[in-house]
Order: sequence, then structure tokens, then C-alpha cells
Amino acid sequence: MTAPARVPAVQIQYDSLERQHVTARLGMWVFLSSESLLFAGLLALYAAYRLAYPVEFHAASTHANLVIGTVNTYILLTSSLTMALAIHATRRGRRRDTVLLLVATMAMGLTFDVLKAVEYAEHLAEGIAPGGYYTYEGLAAHGAVLYVTLYYLLTGLHALHVTGGLVMLAWLTVRAHRGDFTPGSHIALELGGLYWHLVDLVWIFLWPLLYLIG
Amino acid sequence: MARPNDELSDDELSSDEHAPGALGYVLVWLALIVLATLTLFASRAVTGGWGLVVALAIAGAKALLVLAFFMHLAGGRPVHRLTFAAAMAFLVLLILGILADVGTRSIASSYVDDMGGRP
Repeated sequence: MTAPARVPAVQIQYDSLERQHVTARLGMWVFLSSESLLFAGLLALYAAYRLAYPVEFHAASTHANLVIGTVNTYILLTSSLTMALAIHATRRGRRRDTVLLLVATMAMGLTFDVLKAVEYAEHLAEGIAPGGYYTYEGLAAHGAVLYVTLYYLLTGLHALHVTGGLVMLAWLTVRAHRGDFTPGSHIALELGGLYWHLVDLVWIFLWPLLYLIG
Repeated sequence: MARPNDELSDDELSSDEHAPGALGYVLVWLALIVLATLTLFASRAVTGGWGLVVALAIAGAKALLVLAFFMHLAGGRPVHRLTFAAAMAFLVLLILGILADVGTRSIASSYVDDMGGRP
């Protein structure tokens, strides 16, 4: 038995699906704005400690893995392209392309997470761990511990967002595959795309702040 | 002046009108890749405090590209731009306020003492 085609439901307070989508889009922007402020707290801490310990931050940042950080930058930028193209394909009614592009986006997000895990493992093996677990002796301790702790907090919070995004993308891929999205109605896909681009946006700033401050 | 709800234009009801199209997306992506590579070279060429300024300026340009075209803020409803700009304004205020505080403390070491002076 095949599932019946899913007709998007108009909630009672809207006179049309289009108007409902207008509200959903605004709600998403409010959510993305508050997400940005979640990162703002950590970025403000970073600003304060970097100003207090410029030399230590510089020295500690040279221990970040620039190759992995840079490759991950290109990966996330490219995954934003495939996400945008996936929505474009839906608008053109090309379901197969949508699914393929979403899978490509997920593959890149997963690669990002794996590379990040490799990087963490390298640091931890050296004793470059957050807070009181820091045992690395090659750096002047005090400011370096603050850099390292902020490095873990910022990249960790970001990696959690990538991982959450992957779960969301998997769900969107299933929905795209079974034909939930039509050229005229695909708000979940559109909002999911906005979320994925925000994750990219955060990394655009984390990369220079954590890897390139030398 | 507020308009009645039913006067939302077709453009405002649908975000499709502002989508750049496949070629547009690819061009934006190319620009992002070029800017990222530029950041990498600039961070090697420009040393001292200006390196970070240059890197952050390029990051800002990349962010604007993503927001304007991938996230359709260019040409979309103005209220989306307003919402996000408000959050960014508070982010900048927070960071400027903190920099003004930390940057004007007379003795750097008292800052360390205030923080409990971890070894």
C-alpha cells in the first residue's frame, strides 16, 4: 500500500498556505537571531581574553591544525552551495536532484564532524584539553588555557549545531524522497536551508578567530 | 504606516521571486572560495594587529554574501533584515562594551588577579 500524497495543512489562523509560510519564515529569522546571540556570549569572552592575553593567544593558536581548519572551511562553504541548489531543484520540481543534493550536503557535514573529531583527538593526545584538564607544557600556561578552553567551547558548540543540522537534513531527505515538497510548498526545506547556512556563517568567523590569529 | 494584512504583495508571499538561480548560487560560492583563499594569504602577509582586522573584514564580506544570496535577505521581506540586524547590533554592542572595559583597565596584572590567577 502506498502512502497517500501529503497535502500541506493550513492552520486555522491563516487564510492561505502562502501566508502561513510568511509567518514561518519570520519565526525562523527570530530563531536564527537568538542562535547568533548564543554564540555572541562566547565571542565576547573571546574578545576580552584575547585583548588581555594577545601574546599567549597568538602562541596557542599556532597549535590549532590549520590544514584541517581550512579544509573544513571549504567543505562548509561548498555544503552551503549544495543546500541552496537542493532548494532550487525543488522549485523546479526535480525531486531526484533535491535528494542527491541533500545527500551531498549531509556527506560534507559528516566529513566536517569527522575531521573535527580527528583534530580534537590530536589535541587531547598532546594534553591540550579544556580548563583544569590542560596538561600541555609547551606553552605559557595561563593565557593558553583560556584560548584552548574557548577553542573547545566555540568549536564544540558549533560542531553540535553541525550534528543537529545533520539530523535535520536526514529528516528533510526522507521527506524530499517521499515527495512531500512541491515547487510551491516546501517551507520545511527552506527553513532547514536557512539553519544550515547559519552554521556556515558561524564557522566563517570561527576560522579566522581560532586558526588565523597568528 | 501599517498596511492591512491582505495587501501583502505576491513577492512578499513567495520567496521564490528573489532566488538567484543555479548560476547565481554557483557564482556566490566561487566568490566565497576566492575570499576564503584570500583570507589565508592575507593572514600570512599581514602581521600584527592588522592581520585580524583584515581577516575579520573578509569574513564580514563572506557573511554578507551568504546572508544576501544563500539566505535570500537581499530582496526578501525587510522585516527579515531588521530582525537579524537587531541581533547583530546587540552582538556588536556587547563586544564593544567588553573591549572598552578590558582595554581601559590600567594594570593588566590586576585583571589576572581578578580572574583568580590560574597557573
